[in-house]
Amino acid sequence: MSNPRLHAGLAATFAVALAAWGCEANQTSLAPATGRPEFHFFQFECTPFKVTGGGRIDYPPGTADQNPPASHEYETFGAHVIASGQTDANGTCLADKGELEWVDHRPEMEINGHPLNLHATAVTFAERATDTDCSDGAAHWGGKLRVQNTGQENLDFEVWDCDNGEPGAGHDGFAIRVPALGYEVMCPDPDLPPAEPSCTLTGGNRQFHPTH
Amino acid sequence: MKIQFAGLALLLAMPGAVAGQMRMGASATSYGVSVRTANLNQTAASATLPGDGTLAQAQASNVTLGSYVSAQDVFAVATGDGDDPADAGSSVTLESVSVLNGLITADGVVAIASSSAEGSNGDGSSLANVTVNGVSLGDAVAPNTRVELPGVGYVVLNEQTTTPGGITVNMIHVVLQQSVLGVTRTTGEIVVGSASSSVN
Repeated sequence: MSNPRLHAGLAATFAVALAAWGCEANQTSLAPATGRPEFHFFQFECTPFKVTGGGRIDYPPGTADQNPPASHEYETFGAHVIASGQTDANGTCLADKGELEWVDHRPEMEINGHPLNLHATAVTFAERATDTDCSDGAAHWGGKLRVQNTGQENLDFEVWDCDNGEPGAGHDGFAIRVPALGYEVMCPDPDLPPAEPSCTLTGGNRQFHPTH
Repeated sequence: MKIQFAGLALLLAMPGAVAGQMRMGASATSYGVSVRTANLNQTAASATLPGDGTLAQAQASNVTLGSYVSAQDVFAVATGDGDDPADAGSSVTLESVSVLNGLITADGVVAIASSSAEGSNGDGSSLANVTVNGVSLGDAVAPNTRVELPGVGYVVLNEQTTTPGGITVNMIHVVLQQSVLGVTRTTGEIVVGSASSSVN
């Protein structure tokens, strides 16, 4: 049996680096709040858009290369979000709807012998990133999710979503963070704009649709 | 002037294009296991892209279809949308796979199919520790690797087939055959880890 909380060590390394980076990169970071983005790592705008697709990440290390399949060191997912282009009274960019299905196949993340499975129960915010070199569009979005293995729910999550051309494998990126679990699959790169802590896809595709 | 009128007519004929909402066909399906024989015709853990795009998913902790196949932790997802730029994709993952009472085994199976207007691919698909007839094939199984199964038929591993505007990936595809009086005929098939997608 394993619990994501027990494996926060590696994630914490990235979290510390990322938090420091986030504070340095953006002076308008928001305090954590329910159903809202916890950090803005980049310039963003509230416009209607949609992102669809799914795929595979081999994290760690999160590069374009697959880990040996027998290691089970990879994650697979499907996700879509529809941004409304509207803001609430707090200035949060609202999402119309969205879904996320995330499976972490790493043995060290198993719970009761089964892969960690995260399922979004609500997608509440979605903002388009503009300070990015994702060629076809990038977004930061999130909401609430449930840990299917344990029934833990109403947990905040956020993802970074990058469509960087075709094919998706080797180009596009995706990253996820669930603060309450100390869980994150993120690959910040100091050589890239901070809008892109996303890990390179080793399979699949993310497709940014500028309208919906 | 004629050219200008022709351009205007073209725009009027394509209001979707003007609005950036050109609609294409996007389809995607994935499933964990499927058996089609004279005695059993069943598919388990199947996800098909809904008509409105978005996402569909299915999962099962344990799947057993007769004595043909068993697997654990099956997750199937289908996503995509027909709005320009259209995309479609699907994936399925399985663990602890056993086909025909251990004739074929795999620790892990990943099938991924992705399609866009630029093309389709099965990038990210993989087999972990696959064995056939007790012989280990390791992790690196080339697309469309065929292995004979004496007395049973044959299996195609990492089968990748192009379809109109898309691709189908079947990670383990067993073709059951029977020979009678020197004539070989197909009696059924078993598919483990199937992902398909297309954009038209």
